[in-house]
Amino acid sequence: MSLPPGIRHPDEAQLALLAGGELGRWERLRVNRHLSRCSACAQQVELMRDVAGDLRKLAAELPQNLNWDQLDEDMRGNIRVGLAAGEAIARFDKPGLRARPRAWGWNAAMVIACGIVVFVAAFWINLPEQQADHLLGALRRIRPGRIGMPVRGLDASTDGIVLAASGSSLEVTENGRTMSLLHPQSDAVTVSVSMRGSVGVRYVDADTGQVTTNKVYDAEQ
Amino acid sequence: MRSSRFSAATVLLTILIAGALEAGVLPKIDLPKDSPVAVIAADYGDSSESARGGALLLDLHASLTLRNSSQRRIRGITLLVTAQEVTPGGRGSVTVTSLDVAPFETFPVHIDLRLLRPLQASAGAPVQIGLDGVLFDDLSFYGPDKLSSRRSLTLNEWEARRDRKYFKALVADGGPELLRREILESMTHAADRPALDVQMVRGGRATNFDPEKEVQFAFLRLPDSPVEPVEGMARIAGNEARAPRLEVWNKSPRAIRYLEVGWILKDRGGRQFLAGSVPAELSLAPGAKSHILENATLKFPQRGGAPLSIEGMTGFVSSVEFADGSVWIPSRADLADPQLRRVISPSGEEQRLIQIYRKKGLAALVAELNKF
Repeated sequence: MSLPPGIRHPDEAQLALLAGGELGRWERLRVNRHLSRCSACAQQVELMRDVAGDLRKLAAELPQNLNWDQLDEDMRGNIRVGLAAGEAIARFDKPGLRARPRAWGWNAAMVIACGIVVFVAAFWINLPEQQADHLLGALRRIRPGRIGMPVRGLDASTDGIVLAASGSSLEVTENGRTMSLLHPQSDAVTVSVSMRGSVGVRYVDADTGQVTTNKVYDAEQ
Repeated sequence: MRSSRFSAATVLLTILIAGALEAGVLPKIDLPKDSPVAVIAADYGDSSESARGGALLLDLHASLTLRNSSQRRIRGITLLVTAQEVTPGGRGSVTVTSLDVAPFETFPVHIDLRLLRPLQASAGAPVQIGLDGVLFDDLSFYGPDKLSSRRSLTLNEWEARRDRKYFKALVADGGPELLRREILESMTHAADRPALDVQMVRGGRATNFDPEKEVQFAFLRLPDSPVEPVEGMARIAGNEARAPRLEVWNKSPRAIRYLEVGWILKDRGGRQFLAGSVPAELSLAPGAKSHILENATLKFPQRGGAPLSIEGMTGFVSSVEFADGSVWIPSRADLADPQLRRVISPSGEEQRLIQIYRKKGLAALVAELNKF
């Protein structure tokens, strides 16, 4: 039976879905109506139904004790091997893209290292000896494990009393609070420290001409 | 009318400020009832109190006039200064030595003090001033002696007597010109001694990152010393020195109850300076040995220039007190040792005599030596 001109045949997918019984209701009515008038399409659908029947028979013939887990692992392994092979082939196809940046990285590192050596040498040669000693001392005091930790002053005992003598004052500091005895700034000031817990300064008072000694003590003195 | 109101308000404001200042600033002076000195006047001239952030800064400049109300001449006095509210564990003292105050004469004592105290301070006096001790010309002593003032005043007096005797002998032997040469040499040595800041804490431990090491003392043995240091160690880390341990031997025929070992440190550059003294109260029989141990830490912060790096130590016996109360101090001949002369400052009396020479000249210095 030939179709009137202008009528289109259903595509192969629609025919396959009809053969499998999976086409929607309205589509199935429309395709069945077409099959009733088109023998070629009807014949193709019939062929598809036969192949599907053969496949079902073949599936029924699979071994009874098939290990699906092992099969799953084998499949995953094959997929991974395939992906790795794909990557290897991709690298093999573009050798220049990898090699170029690696060579540039080493060159850059060499240039930077040489620059640092030249800079440090020039800096060290031009630095006054005293400053160089100071810098060296500071570098020696750096401990990687202590980086980021606060630098403390003289560590106080449990009662926290620190005695100190500076150019113009004697101080006793306890829990962050300070009492200072002041003295004139002079080269003639003599500092004395007793390891039993006192610090003192002695000077001649310019106004009175008296020998004055200021001292600070901790509690145990 | 407006002018008189303004004047009255100004006077009132001044009185209120003065009252507030008096309540907040003035120290409490507390002398024993039988004290050999009395406060005749107290001037607090430029004293002030001002807010600094969350605290009050008290600047106290006290000029006290004391009178010798005893029958003996006063040679030295120590006043105890405390601020219980601020530093309950710490104390201060102001000592005046090389005095010669006759009975009923007056003499001044200056106290310049700075205190940082909490804003919510109590209404009481922030500073208390008391008497710790007075030394008379016969070496007798009065006072509670909480700060061991008796010993330090006595040692000062012996040093003063030694130096006055030495300078008088110079004048007698070679005239004032010899005295001038000695004073000028002393001034030159004083200028050469390094000035260092120092911090001390008892029971502390090294806080810098230099590796700590045990360093052995070298000893300077003074021929006349009744005690000889045998051996000693201390821990050194960069600019910190701590925990000195010494063994001493009493080579005299008399029992000893107190001694001090001077502690000279040497830095990497070869500079030497007197770091402090290691005192010990002990009972040391003739011929006996004893150990001295002090658990304290000294730190010498940088004051310009390169940071201090301690490399070596020298110890010497700087004073001894025998069981009968008499004392030994190094003689002028001992102090002439080149190493000691480089590091030991002149006594307070020698400093005072140098100042007289500087301000008034050689004739005034000779006249001062002839006073007593």
